Amino acid sequence: MTLTEIIDSFKTKLDPSKIMNSLEKAASFNAESENDSEGNDSREDLKINPYNNSGNDSAKSSNAIRISQNGEDPLIKLTDVWKIYQMGEVEFAALKGITLEIYEGEFLVVLGPSGSGKSTLMNLLGCLDIPSKGKVCLNSKDISELDESELALIRGQMIGFIFQSFNLIPTLSTEENVLLPLEFQEEDRHISRQKAAYLLDIVGLTDKKKNLPSQLSGGQRQRVAIARSLAVNPPIILADEPTGNLDTKTGDYILGFLDGLHEREGKTIIIVTHDLDIVKYATRVVYIRDGEIEKIEKRTKNEPEGLK
Amino acid sequence: MRNSTYLKMGLNMLLHSKLRSWLTIIGIVIGVGSVIGIVSLGDAMQASIQSELAEMDLTKITISPGYTKASSNMHGPPGMGGGGTSTDAELTDDDIDALQGLDSVQYIAGEISGSEEVKYTGETATLSITGVDPQVWKYMTTLETQSGRLLEPADKYVAVIGSGIASETYDHDIGVNQVITVNNKSVRVVGILTEEGMGDDSNIYMPIDGAVDLIEDAQEDVYDSITVKAKSEDLVDGLTEDIEKRLMVSRHIIQEDDRDFSLTASKSMAESVTEMMSSMTLFLGAIAAVSLLVGAVGIANTMFTSVLEKTKEIGTMKAIGAKNRDILMIFLFNSAMVGLVGGILGVILGSFVSSGLQAMMGSDMTGGGSGVRISLMFEGLALAVMIGVISGVVPAYRASKLKPVDALRYE
Repeated sequence: MTLTEIIDSFKTKLDPSKIMNSLEKAASFNAESENDSEGNDSREDLKINPYNNSGNDSAKSSNAIRISQNGEDPLIKLTDVWKIYQMGEVEFAALKGITLEIYEGEFLVVLGPSGSGKSTLMNLLGCLDIPSKGKVCLNSKDISELDESELALIRGQMIGFIFQSFNLIPTLSTEENVLLPLEFQEEDRHISRQKAAYLLDIVGLTDKKKNLPSQLSGGQRQRVAIARSLAVNPPIILADEPTGNLDTKTGDYILGFLDGLHEREGKTIIIVTHDLDIVKYATRVVYIRDGEIEKIEKRTKNEPEGLK
Repeated sequence: MRNSTYLKMGLNMLLHSKLRSWLTIIGIVIGVGSVIGIVSLGDAMQASIQSELAEMDLTKITISPGYTKASSNMHGPPGMGGGGTSTDAELTDDDIDALQGLDSVQYIAGEISGSEEVKYTGETATLSITGVDPQVWKYMTTLETQSGRLLEPADKYVAVIGSGIASETYDHDIGVNQVITVNNKSVRVVGILTEEGMGDDSNIYMPIDGAVDLIEDAQEDVYDSITVKAKSEDLVDGLTEDIEKRLMVSRHIIQEDDRDFSLTASKSMAESVTEMMSSMTLFLGAIAAVSLLVGAVGIANTMFTSVLEKTKEIGTMKAIGAKNRDILMIFLFNSAMVGLVGGILGVILGSFVSSGLQAMMGSDMTGGGSGVRISLMFEGLALAVMIGVISGVVPAYRASKLKPVDALRYE
């Protein structure tokens, strides 16, 4: 299977019109739960959904292999993955033989204390790094065999990143930040702008589209980051401590938004965190400590922690 | 990513690191400015020399007595390059006769010269007098009169004087038909030359027959120099060789060491002046290029700092889909932009510097100032952009090769 086929196979899983509806629902959710945003009262005007176009590239190949949701074919599969860092003459293993399968439509929380190797794990899941030993397979394709530009293509089209410190480009406006992933994919300018406008509306930042990140609050910045991560409509959202730099209320909003994406979009959400509170959104929790998986716990959403 | 996006991102980077970018740009401004300034000044000087040369008669070959080995390569006059000069050599009618038969010769004439006291209305000044052959002088000289006439064949104790003598040397201006006294002999002024801005302005030209009587130590049929005019400029080189051969024979010189005359072709003099001018321009240009090089190092330095500073952003961009090429191009466009802005300002500065220098040096040196060539402006701009790109290559390549995971971790 070629790389494009792999990417297409993920994209075909998402029905564009479904995305539209759910995003709009998420928007109304946003209006209720986020109190630091102004100008969110124009929800009804949200009529044009650029992701709903028939010409959208996300439905390109109909014959691409579909991944079933029954858990038989994992989206991401890690087999005995090691990540070893050379620190002077000493070798340090950040990950020690991780084996893990992540399925489409999961809300996976990787939970562990700092230094447990969870960020290293996220880097591998996000194709930002390759393992020292073992295999990381995305739709059965070993990422170690891909070159940098192929990895960039996977990151750009399949994975939406949300970082703890937002990682917005400080010299670009809110709108330009959201447009950036589309620019990397050379999306048509007109459609790009429609998509950015749509996403900014969803996260309630239409009135801030010309602002620089430095002119936004932490919560607003993370909302821009979420809009950016959704720009190319990726099947996987990968978030590294997304609420780490936010107050509880804003954090809850962000998680609620991600939960909405999972519930209504069927997007695969992977959150790497040390925050136990996030576990309540998860369908599965991977406990990691000292570079090893301590235990994996299947959950039902919103089930109180400790009852399991 | 599209080129227009690279351009936008590059410009965005430039605009958001104002102070550092401007400091870098200043380096390029100074570099490009000085290159443009110096090259266009050189252009102007060369143009003025060329126009001066155009007025010069390039068909003239001057024979002078004496020979200096050091000057043999350019057939220069004696005493120019040091070394031993053969003495007691004279140029006479015999030499003129020896050269008469040469095909390429149009005119040939002997000249004598000396400095004598010249009186006018009670004032005395020491002026140089040149005795020329009135038969051919008016055909051979490029000088023109502002009033009166040039010398005629029948003239003897008459003079054509330079404009400086006429209007500056004495308290009273000398006019045509007025009489000056040279060595107690009255000489009538028949013509006043137009201003040349060179030695001719303070020279007196007389028929050689009269001048022999007035110039001390001058002898009949003995010349201080013989001027040969070739039929055309193309024949000058051949004629120079022919003259040399003929004179060697007629003066019974067998060995090069015994040679006692020199040839100076105004054409070769003109060539060496032009050559000197262009090497001077080249030399000054090279000095200016050094400042441009310093500017280039400045861009590279800024770019390295910028890459370091933007490491995390590079990581973020790679995480959201930027390919290595995208990062490379963004940084290259940024450094090209630094070069471009520096180039534009440099061209403006260079034009000011050039016209300022031209004004300072006066119109004599630069032919009245011709400004900066449009092509030079574009060359300057292209050079600046090229320097920007070249200095940006290594930092941009480094940025593009950053591993996304390392770049994201960078604090």
